[in-house]
Amino acid sequence: MDTLIQQIINGLSLGSVYALIAVGYSLVYSILLFSNFAHGGFLVIGGYICYYTLAAMGHNIWLSGLLAMVGAGVVAILVERLAYKPIRERTNVTLYLLIASMGMSIVIENIFVVTVGGRFRALPPVIPTDPVNFFGLATTSAFDLLSLGMAVLFLAALQIFLSKTKWGLAIRAASYDLRTSGLMGVNVNRLISIVFFVAGLLAAVGGIFLSVRYTLYPQLGFITIKAFVAAVIGGLGSLPGAVLGSLILGLAEMLTAGFISSQMRDLVVFGMLVLTLLWRPSGLLGKQVSEKV
Amino acid sequence: MTEAQNQKQPLLSVRDLHVSYGAIKALRGFNLDVYPGEIVCVIGSNGAGKSTLMNAIMGNVKKQSGKILFEGKPLEGQSFQVVTKGLSLSPEGRKVFAPLTVYENLMMGSFPVNDKEKVKKDLEWVYTLFPRLRERRSQYAGTLSGGEQQMLAIGRALMASPRLLLLDEPSLGLAPIIIKDIFKELKRINEEGVTILLVEQNARQALLLSHRGYVMQTGQLVMEGDAKELLHNPEIQAAYLGTGKKAH
Repeated sequence: MDTLIQQIINGLSLGSVYALIAVGYSLVYSILLFSNFAHGGFLVIGGYICYYTLAAMGHNIWLSGLLAMVGAGVVAILVERLAYKPIRERTNVTLYLLIASMGMSIVIENIFVVTVGGRFRALPPVIPTDPVNFFGLATTSAFDLLSLGMAVLFLAALQIFLSKTKWGLAIRAASYDLRTSGLMGVNVNRLISIVFFVAGLLAAVGGIFLSVRYTLYPQLGFITIKAFVAAVIGGLGSLPGAVLGSLILGLAEMLTAGFISSQMRDLVVFGMLVLTLLWRPSGLLGKQVSEKV
Repeated sequence: MTEAQNQKQPLLSVRDLHVSYGAIKALRGFNLDVYPGEIVCVIGSNGAGKSTLMNAIMGNVKKQSGKILFEGKPLEGQSFQVVTKGLSLSPEGRKVFAPLTVYENLMMGSFPVNDKEKVKKDLEWVYTLFPRLRERRSQYAGTLSGGEQQMLAIGRALMASPRLLLLDEPSLGLAPIIIKDIFKELKRINEEGVTILLVEQNARQALLLSHRGYVMQTGQLVMEGDAKELLHNPEIQAAYLGTGKKAH
């Protein structure tokens, strides 16, 4: 029983970090309709900014976290402006964007390999990882509870942004029909920049928690594959779907690790992807609003 | 010449407008004037270039040459900039945001308006014009009927507080009785001070509503004049209205 509750908490914690990454990825997908493979790069940039500012400016995780978020958000905007905007202004074929994003992913990864090197780095112990007794039911770590709490906080903030603000409404409209939202007076280029900023910012939060969990290295961005899988399981382009898929994935991974074998977790993850694609290719909450003709 | 034409400078002037899609010429030197307070229609068959004209005015497609003047000033920039200058478009096929509610769709229409009081007033006006929209304000736009979606598309365009309302095929795919309703509201919108330019395949309804009309064929202007006169012109009757005797 103890193990079960403990693994559920761990699973939700891991899943909620996946959700931060998957939601940003899904947001970009819903607007521009391509898989942004450079999304993992945003996460790594967030991680490294946090690592170096922690070392340089005293161990203040709040300040470093903020800088990491803003930094990754700005880099995300730059990536879009440099690599994607010239393409989307010339063609509607999203395949080119996909290829460009693979290129940007390689560029970002290798910038870190050549500048700071490929070795594994541990963040200084600024986020507590002590064991915590969870209401006498199970023992878990403070880190898991913290990352779960922070992820919930950021996802709630995103939800409020999307549902209560003018630009949030514009993003929801644009995710249905980008061109028509331009007709409504929305500066589409600015909207896309905002979306990339938000995606980069959320990826940085995920990146910081993942750097603590797994240490930081230039290829840490590959973990985004899990977030892609989560987004597909939940339904590409759907934000609640991305969160749901991430939580399911996190739970499946941790329960597999706890009760079967840690080596089986990826098998389960990709097995779930295959099953989803077989039975429900549009995902659990894929876009399904029907339109009368 | 109508009274309006004698007094004022045109609200919108299109001069020698050329637009191409690659090798295909959609507009070949089109001219048009819309005076304040008028309802003007452009009629023509499918593929004549009517929607291209609308998209060129709204900055959605690049013009090759020619001039588009709004209140005497050249209309330039992308569609999001054009909207802020006082004209808005209800696009062909309605293009409502299906996963947003009716209210949210209308709020999208008011995106360029920063004055909250003005938005409130416009919303009340749109709800008065189309009471159906008020009833369904929290319903998803994708669940509305075709007629209701058209009302929403027009209401959404009105939320931008335009002086010139552009309508691209407002009768498309709708039952005759609903078309009548919608055109009645268009008349009312015009009487409350909004100038209207509409392009239509439904020539009869469009000419009945309008003060003046333009006839477009393969991207060119072939005839223009008083709407009533066009309605009774034998050539127009034969080609676009399906009534009257063949012209030859």
